[in-house]
Amino acid sequence: MTDTTHALTPQELIEGSEEAETSSPSESASTARFLTFVSGGLTFGVPTDQVIEIITNHNIRSLPLVPDYVRGIINLRGQILPIIDVRLRLGKPFQEYTSSTCIIILDIGADRIGIGVDSVSQVLTVDTAAASPIPLENRQKLATSMIATEEGKVVLLLDCNALTEP
Amino acid sequence: MDNVTDSLLDTYLFETNSLLEQLDELLINAEKNGDFTEDDVNEIFRSMHTIKGSSAMLEFNSLMEIAHHIEDLFFYIRENGTSSLNPQQKGELFNLMFKSEDRLREEVEKVENNEPLSVNIDSFIQEINNFLNKISNSGNAAQGEAKAAEELKNTDTPPFTSPEAAYCIRLFFDEGCGMENLRAFMLVTALKENGYTFTYSPQDIETDSGTSQSIINDGFFIGFSSKEEAEKASLLIAGSNNVHSYELIEKHEEEASPGSSAVQQNEAGTQKQADTPSPKNAAVHTAGKQNLISVNLAKLDSLMALVGEIVITESMVTSSPDLKGLKLDNFMKSARQLRKLTDDLQDISMSLRMVPVSGVFQKMNRIVRDMKKTLDKDVRLTLIGEDTELDKSIVDSISDPIMHIVRNSMDHGIEATREERIAAGKNPQGEIILSAVHTGNEIIISVKDDGQGVNPQKVLEKAQRNNFLSKPAEEYTKKEILSLLMEPGFSTNNEVTEYSGRGVGMDVVKKNIEAIGGVVSISSEEGEGTCTTLKIPLTLAIVDGMEISVGNSVYTVPISNIRQSFKASRDSIIFDDSGHEIIRCMDEFYPVVRLHDLYGIYDNVCTEIDDGILMWVEANDISYCLFVDQLLGEQQVVVKPLPGYLNNFSIKNYGVSGCTILGDGNISIILDIASIYSAVKNTY
Repeated sequence: MTDTTHALTPQELIEGSEEAETSSPSESASTARFLTFVSGGLTFGVPTDQVIEIITNHNIRSLPLVPDYVRGIINLRGQILPIIDVRLRLGKPFQEYTSSTCIIILDIGADRIGIGVDSVSQVLTVDTAAASPIPLENRQKLATSMIATEEGKVVLLLDCNALTEP
Repeated sequence: MDNVTDSLLDTYLFETNSLLEQLDELLINAEKNGDFTEDDVNEIFRSMHTIKGSSAMLEFNSLMEIAHHIEDLFFYIRENGTSSLNPQQKGELFNLMFKSEDRLREEVEKVENNEPLSVNIDSFIQEINNFLNKISNSGNAAQGEAKAAEELKNTDTPPFTSPEAAYCIRLFFDEGCGMENLRAFMLVTALKENGYTFTYSPQDIETDSGTSQSIINDGFFIGFSSKEEAEKASLLIAGSNNVHSYELIEKHEEEASPGSSAVQQNEAGTQKQADTPSPKNAAVHTAGKQNLISVNLAKLDSLMALVGEIVITESMVTSSPDLKGLKLDNFMKSARQLRKLTDDLQDISMSLRMVPVSGVFQKMNRIVRDMKKTLDKDVRLTLIGEDTELDKSIVDSISDPIMHIVRNSMDHGIEATREERIAAGKNPQGEIILSAVHTGNEIIISVKDDGQGVNPQKVLEKAQRNNFLSKPAEEYTKKEILSLLMEPGFSTNNEVTEYSGRGVGMDVVKKNIEAIGGVVSISSEEGEGTCTTLKIPLTLAIVDGMEISVGNSVYTVPISNIRQSFKASRDSIIFDDSGHEIIRCMDEFYPVVRLHDLYGIYDNVCTEIDDGILMWVEANDISYCLFVDQLLGEQQVVVKPLPGYLNNFSIKNYGVSGCTILGDGNISIILDIASIYSAVKNTY
């Protein structure tokens, strides 16, 4: 998967080979792998070690009397998991679930939850030391820091705890 | 290493707790009979011995000390027979034993909670010793003489006189390790388990702690008939704990070889003799080990969950839509077979969790006994249906409620004095009947006393004084008045006593019982007694449910809540003054609750009474009609709790109590009839 993340520029290729030689442990202190996904036009990243799996086309059982961003519960091989729609959680308009809509199952402490996202992009290795806090006036509900990728995109790092706070 | 100690500790706690429970039962029965039988004395002696031994192994000194002194006490009693005690001494003995039992329990609790054990138990030990001194005063002289003689015999160092012990191992334990006799006994048991035949000296190591001294001084002797055996055994001995040194002694070599048949015979004889001190003990232990094992409850829970999954998956496979319209004779045959097997599997895994309520019931004996003493009331407790079985988790959670109710009955149910009872024309001895009956899906547990009963007028007055009434006092029925007793903060007793009257009794009972899906009701006739009834579901994991649909969603209503389902027409609906719908069933009027209104379901839903169906439901003392679209059919469902995250939203207060997975893999929500009603009432 590093192939997909480390794309292209020669400079980067060199860095990449170095990384392979010196082996990651020395670097792992500050680098981490993030799964990025798009929801409501924003790109988010979530640490891969919190991701259990990605599922699509799952039947969601809606629940009465919950906020709209709680889409309901699913039966994942006998486990009952709640599904939170990231778009709605951000206060953006709802988009019907299609085949590209994904549910990412996350392990948040004791709980497992699923988050509904527009689409899943890729796995990125990023240097978390380079992450910068989001300016206060632009603060997002679900992210506290952001990071720029080599391609010039900005990834917001998802704060899983904020996600489950009501 | 930690794991080993942990499991050892678990075993220890389990063993000690069950021994204490047995002891409790035994003491209660013995006190009832006013005397210890010989068996009782032996039993107490044995269990104290076990507790002492295992506590010493785990270095729980306070437990060991207490058990040790009780053991000494019962050693004396066993030697002299209970007849040597006068009635007053027996009474003291019972009190002392109950006290010791409590003391042991306290210590065990501390072990359980990882708290430091009591260090200063000298005063208590002193108490036991004083009692022992008191009762042994008379026979002291004779006892002393016998002891002296015994000691003399011991110091004689006669390892073995019998010829079969040609090869003898003499071993010493580490200096100052303590309990030498027990350590020797453990060694003997280990050797026996490994199939060695041998004799040993001193003989009564298990029961006489006095042998410790002789083992320290002269060593412990184990005699074998052949050299090979002795050598093999010495390896095992070398590997045992605390063995300081051992030596193999060969002797009587010439004597042993001739007349081998005679030796053989002799051996059998002594072997038997060696075994005699403990055959009963061994029998008791092995019987327990063979028939019962203790399993972590979490394992059973996951087994149950897995079996639930299998049941669901099985019906998913056999009723798969892919099979529709196909003629599959062989498949259907195998499917039926599979269904039968999964049903059996489910039954068995359920029954694994079932335990009799007798454990809880027996505890009440003790409570009644203690309260009898402090309140000075003469009451007998009758237990009925002790062997009724209930889910383990339920049994655990009904113990406190039942205790509360029994205390209530003792404290303000039964009349304060005999004279009062005689004046009322009753047997001077009060009676509390604790019974458990199994009816279909429920267990009914009732606590009935023949005391003074409840005066509804007084309850009403008190409720009025404390502002508990929600409607004019005249409108209260007797049933409603009695259920006022279960309101938080309500207590009829004017004085607060040690046991009850603080007004935190019955509401806690009600809450605890409702938490496990049960119902509490009180009935009482003034002057004749009070009966508190607990209706408790057999198990929480599986519910008989009715599948219903509202809009596009499926819900499950527990069958036990449904009284009747019926079609109604527009005209039969009546409106109250605020516009809420009411319907008449069986000459009574009940409110209509529209589930789609409550849950805000608008798509594809029946809104006309004529199109849908009314379900007359009942929970506790609430009764109303639920309006739903359609009945889909009855099904046994495995209850799954909702994900913890959803507790952030108060859906539990709106009747969503759990969920279940249907045969097709979809999720159905299980409705809680009582909380739907309170939710609707709040919206009014």
